[in-house]
Amino acid sequence: MFAFLRFERRRIFGERKNLIFLGFIFLFSAYFIWSGLNEYRQFHAEKKIFLKFEKERIKQIVNYAQYGVFGFRLLYEASPLNLFFVNSSVLQDVESNIDSLEAIKVESSFKGKKLFLTRGYFKDFAGIPFIFGSLFMLYLGHLALVSPAYLRFMTGRMALKKYYALTTAARLFWLNLFFVALGLGLFFLIQLGGVAFSGSEKTIFFLYLLFLVLLLDFFYLLGQLTSVLVRFRKVFFLWFFIVWFFCIFLLPEINRISVFNKARVLESAEKVNLEKFRTLMVLEKKFRDYLKVNPATPLEQIRQMQKKFAVQFINSSYLVNTGLETKYLRDVEKVIAGHERQSVLFPTTFYHFLTGEASGKGYYGYLDFMDYIMKLRNRFMHFYLEKRYEGNESTVESFVKNDENIFRARSRLPKTFWLGLLTTIFYSAAFLAMTYWLLRRQVFLP
Amino acid sequence: MIALKNLTLEKDDFYLSALSLEIAAGEIYFLLNRLDQDNDFLFLILSGFQAAGNGEISYDGNRLLGAKHPETAVFIDRVNDRADFDTEARLGQWFDFLCAQGLGSEDIFKTLLVGNFHERQLKKMVRDLAPETFKLAYLAICLAANSANVVINNFIKGSGKNFELKFNKLLLQQKAAGRAILFLGSDIFYASEIADRVGFLKNGRLMFEAAAADLKEMDIKDLYLKFLN
Repeated sequence: MFAFLRFERRRIFGERKNLIFLGFIFLFSAYFIWSGLNEYRQFHAEKKIFLKFEKERIKQIVNYAQYGVFGFRLLYEASPLNLFFVNSSVLQDVESNIDSLEAIKVESSFKGKKLFLTRGYFKDFAGIPFIFGSLFMLYLGHLALVSPAYLRFMTGRMALKKYYALTTAARLFWLNLFFVALGLGLFFLIQLGGVAFSGSEKTIFFLYLLFLVLLLDFFYLLGQLTSVLVRFRKVFFLWFFIVWFFCIFLLPEINRISVFNKARVLESAEKVNLEKFRTLMVLEKKFRDYLKVNPATPLEQIRQMQKKFAVQFINSSYLVNTGLETKYLRDVEKVIAGHERQSVLFPTTFYHFLTGEASGKGYYGYLDFMDYIMKLRNRFMHFYLEKRYEGNESTVESFVKNDENIFRARSRLPKTFWLGLLTTIFYSAAFLAMTYWLLRRQVFLP
Repeated sequence: MIALKNLTLEKDDFYLSALSLEIAAGEIYFLLNRLDQDNDFLFLILSGFQAAGNGEISYDGNRLLGAKHPETAVFIDRVNDRADFDTEARLGQWFDFLCAQGLGSEDIFKTLLVGNFHERQLKKMVRDLAPETFKLAYLAICLAANSANVVINNFIKGSGKNFELKFNKLLLQQKAAGRAILFLGSDIFYASEIADRVGFLKNGRLMFEAAAADLKEMDIKDLYLKFLN
């Protein structure tokens, strides 16, 4: 085994073009990590301004009626791990406005600097090994077995099974070592740069790295298989490109289109908003009708009636609207769960799902955000109605305590992580066995 | 000793009918065949990579059952395309790897020295070696196995006279060391020059056999037209 390790180390790292490619992967990964770190720092600088602005804003609000209309903004803060996955996340920089209006708003701003923050397909740490690492592994898988003539020559000296197994193991050892060292090196460098990761974030990153390495092994074994399937002919490069394009671009895109099609069963968000608006307006109409019937009602009595209607609103219409919103959210959750299950079927589609969730800005991050908005909104509504109809109107007290208007999303692993990992291992094992079976038929003619 | 008994196979365009041969220790037997692809196919059968339909191949009385060569024979194939051996490794690294698998580096260098091999070639990538340097390296690895039987497939085809002379020297050394050598080829003049016995294979049948010494007294042109044309 040591002889194989030594030989394969020399084969991989002694070849100039391999070194150039590996150097390229290292440099670009480091560049995008640096770029991710800059975005992370910029976000934190802007977060401070955001908090300051929100504190200033509440001082300018004259009464609770105004506070109810303007509300306050809620900022989505991704976990620090997001700097590895800035382009892999599902959500971009989002925020919400919590007020007394019926619609829940989640929006992204393109104002100022953010206009120039155009994101691309692979422009982050997770994208570089995915695009270029997979290409490289596919190519090295192709080169591993050289040719049937060479294999016959080697088989004269040792069993084909032994040569195949040890060559594959030795090459994967060095290649995996490179990618693990790259990931861990950059991770610790980021820590040295002042970003603190919690214990769970570290675990998530290490498990992500484990999946990345297995995904790259999958490509290496796919390269070997493709090479054997096309019988080591020069036409390999055409197939090589087709296979790579199919796995890296086409399948994830098909998966994305599929989830979009499935999401069409969801009711339009506007329709939900309209229903909520109708429920609200029924109550408003009742209040208006009361005023029409009793136009000479004294102001104090109107105030009492308003309070009564507010209590009625909280106990009926508001609950109905919250129920509508919760139901809608659970429907979205079902689509997400279906998408997750579908992603597990192939390693590259699962990689996309995994990086989205690990970034803290994935689908489940969105659900958490929505749940948080609804809880906060519920509390805000009670606070607002209480203060408006019962409290002292002279000074407006801020609803937001501490950093409540910052939603800290956590990085997470998909629930199907281990299943996705096992699926990737299963594919790899199948490729390994299939390649050997085909190889035997090419070396030993029937 | 190499022994073929009633070796028979019919597959695609290849046809072999009850080929029987015995090559004694210290003997070079040259089996002439018109087509290179037939020689390649027969070489695959002799080296155990192609199953024979019927018949038996044995080396020193041990029946060939697979392709575990060093214990049975040394198989030297024609290696015209270095790309088939482009391991992305330097020659020296390739030698180190093979030596770690049990080959003796002294045995490798013994052959290389006969071929005036220069040490600086060890630092070159296999693909960058001159074709004849690569052939010499390949030959050195094959012969380092020190087996009592040698099967060669058209190895010098396309090589210059200089390499041919070096190869002949090595071949005669092997013969002198008591090895049984079966040479598959298509060059009747070379066969008469190097072999002890020559066999003519035509359409899968062994048509004619003669001692090389007798061959020199025959009309080679006539034999060529009769069996190899």
